[in-house]
Amino acid sequence: MENIKIKVNGNEVEVSPGKTVLQVLKELGIHVPVLCHYEPLMPQGSCRLCVVEDRGVLKTACTTPVEPNMDIKTDTPNVINSRKLVLQLLFTERNHYCMYCEVTGECELQDLGYEFGLDHFEFPTYERKFPVDNSHPFILMDHNRCVLCRRCVRACSEVAGHFVLGEMERGIDTMIIADMDTPLGKSTCVSCGLCAQVCPTGAIIDKRSAYLGREVQSDVINTNCDLCPVGCGIEVYKKKGANFIVKIYGDWNSDVSQGVLCKVGRYLSLYDEKERLIGIRVKDDFGYRKISEDQLIKLVKDKIDKGIAYVDGTLFNEELELIKEIFKDKVYALYPEEIPIPSNITLKELDNRNFYVVIGADLNREYGTVGSIVKRNVIGNKAKLMVIDKEFNSLAKIADYVFNIKDMSMALDIIKKQDDVVVIYKDIDSDEIKLLSSLTNAKFLYLPKETNSLGLQKLGIKHNNITAECIFVFGKNLEGLKNLNIKDATVFVFTPYEDDEIHKATVLVGISNGFEREGTFYNLEGKKLKKEKILRPTYDTVDLKTFLSQILGRAEKVS
Amino acid sequence: MGKIKVASIWCEGCSGCHMSFLDMDERLVELINKGLEINATPITDLKIPDEGTDIGIIEGAVATDHHEEEVKMMRERCKFIVALGDCAVFGGIPTMRNYVPVEELLERGYITTESTVQGKIPSSEEIGKHLSKVKAVNEVIKVDFYIPGCPPSADAIYYVLKEILEGRVPKLEGELLKYE
Repeated sequence: MENIKIKVNGNEVEVSPGKTVLQVLKELGIHVPVLCHYEPLMPQGSCRLCVVEDRGVLKTACTTPVEPNMDIKTDTPNVINSRKLVLQLLFTERNHYCMYCEVTGECELQDLGYEFGLDHFEFPTYERKFPVDNSHPFILMDHNRCVLCRRCVRACSEVAGHFVLGEMERGIDTMIIADMDTPLGKSTCVSCGLCAQVCPTGAIIDKRSAYLGREVQSDVINTNCDLCPVGCGIEVYKKKGANFIVKIYGDWNSDVSQGVLCKVGRYLSLYDEKERLIGIRVKDDFGYRKISEDQLIKLVKDKIDKGIAYVDGTLFNEELELIKEIFKDKVYALYPEEIPIPSNITLKELDNRNFYVVIGADLNREYGTVGSIVKRNVIGNKAKLMVIDKEFNSLAKIADYVFNIKDMSMALDIIKKQDDVVVIYKDIDSDEIKLLSSLTNAKFLYLPKETNSLGLQKLGIKHNNITAECIFVFGKNLEGLKNLNIKDATVFVFTPYEDDEIHKATVLVGISNGFEREGTFYNLEGKKLKKEKILRPTYDTVDLKTFLSQILGRAEKVS
Repeated sequence: MGKIKVASIWCEGCSGCHMSFLDMDERLVELINKGLEINATPITDLKIPDEGTDIGIIEGAVATDHHEEEVKMMRERCKFIVALGDCAVFGGIPTMRNYVPVEELLERGYITTESTVQGKIPSSEEIGKHLSKVKAVNEVIKVDFYIPGCPPSADAIYYVLKEILEGRVPKLEGELLKYE
């Protein structure tokens, strides 16, 4: 399309059509104040702070597309006075007294107040009291701080796909609500926390990060979540000069998750209260006794020749490679996992499909970001959804077709008639795989069981159940230890958490965990992602990678 | 240059703003040398401003009928009124009680507090009666200049007084304009 000519503050400019006035002004370097507008969300034009004058008429810059012959003025008294009035109304409608509020210092409304030099309220304020919803375990909703920008509503639906938040009533009585005005903690909220991330004021805040520090007091580290094989992009806010994480935000620039996170990535990793395994201990007749790292290295070196290693999928590539180097081909996975039909679609391509088939996974409870992508397309874009499962699946209530996995062949008859199909599946039987692989019109996305399942596959580490004189077990999920025949073996366990199961072992080694370790892993798309080390270990634990390097005689600098 | 008379009062506030006023330190001497005459203030323990005072500084929100009278008297006797601090400017922390009826509030404060035994709500004629709502000063009288902040920085107070002394209209910006 041809460029169009418009006037901006008296100067003629040529702009490409299809853009909004706000976008054009931004490109020209003209500052326009915004509040309800938030780049990754659809513009809404509800706060009216971005008004500009076009041929004498005030228009919201964020929602008005550029047209030929526009004569935009951004600094007339009409525009400035209108913005000032709007700001006064926003400040006085509810309680926006900064001293009461958690987000002061990082509030977009406060920033606007400073920008406009607002030094008093022109209207009576504190007239009405609004409820505070404290029912949710992670999120606090204080309606007194709400400016009704609906960023949370848009983020919850357009991006996160959960469609939990909405609004009721009109005008000054408007309230942001969850479901049918249900307390947030009792609603269908899945705790993805995106609403708290996009809220410009203190209306929706994350309870854990409250009062821990502002963005300017934090180092922001972009990395990837390693708690499931999705590997969402995260922004980690670490308090400067301290050893704790203030909060975790979704990274809008991440190719994997495009800003979305789930409860696990945003909250659970920070609420981790599982008892940690601390120190290095050896069992003798009197129970466990502590030994030094040097003694452990000697002990391990003596036993390597007689030993085999079991690993799980929570280990990073670097650790797995070192273990392979030490134990050669005697490295086995704790859990069996085959990838019958490899994935041939990325998460970015998963958007805007026509027909989604989800097999065996409740995407509200696991692989949350994949769930968000599916849900926003099914509910928001009217794509079709088929759920095939053997038990209850909470996705079923939004599905167009629901099948028991026994009736897979019936389901396939329907799928075959569709175009642009994506099959998202996790562990299924070989009969069903055979049926699935007959599909020619579908793309596949396999949901691996563990974070680095694909890394194990790439290194050719397969499950086995054999025993040896000496067994070394590495990893976080040690449920599989039960099934191993370890009665007569000397067992070394390297794990971050305390667990009854591991007390069968002769040697227990507590290893660093979470943000205390770094490494790479392959996510479900097969992308190699990096997890950064952000915190110093809190407890007396061993860094697995450093330790393994030492076994190989490679001195590694301990940071 | 003639003397510029300043008076200040302390309504429903914590005195933090007056502390901040004193925090101007030696700049206070500088202002006095420039002609500032500090008249009736809580610091000098004089409560009634002189007729013809130039600048009347009000700390604190308007919470009782006494405060209402005091600020009205300030308005009558002063050329310019400066609302000093968040309570005077916005209502501030005292507005927290606006959502609770006064009777309930006094009951809670003087009788049902956990640490109180046989409490009694003070009823002396000399004590001001609570208004049903705590108000910012500009809801009662016309205010000329505002210095928000809890408390406002000494820099902000110094800047405003200096600008008025030198005959300019003060406009708080940047670091001087803070709501907290």
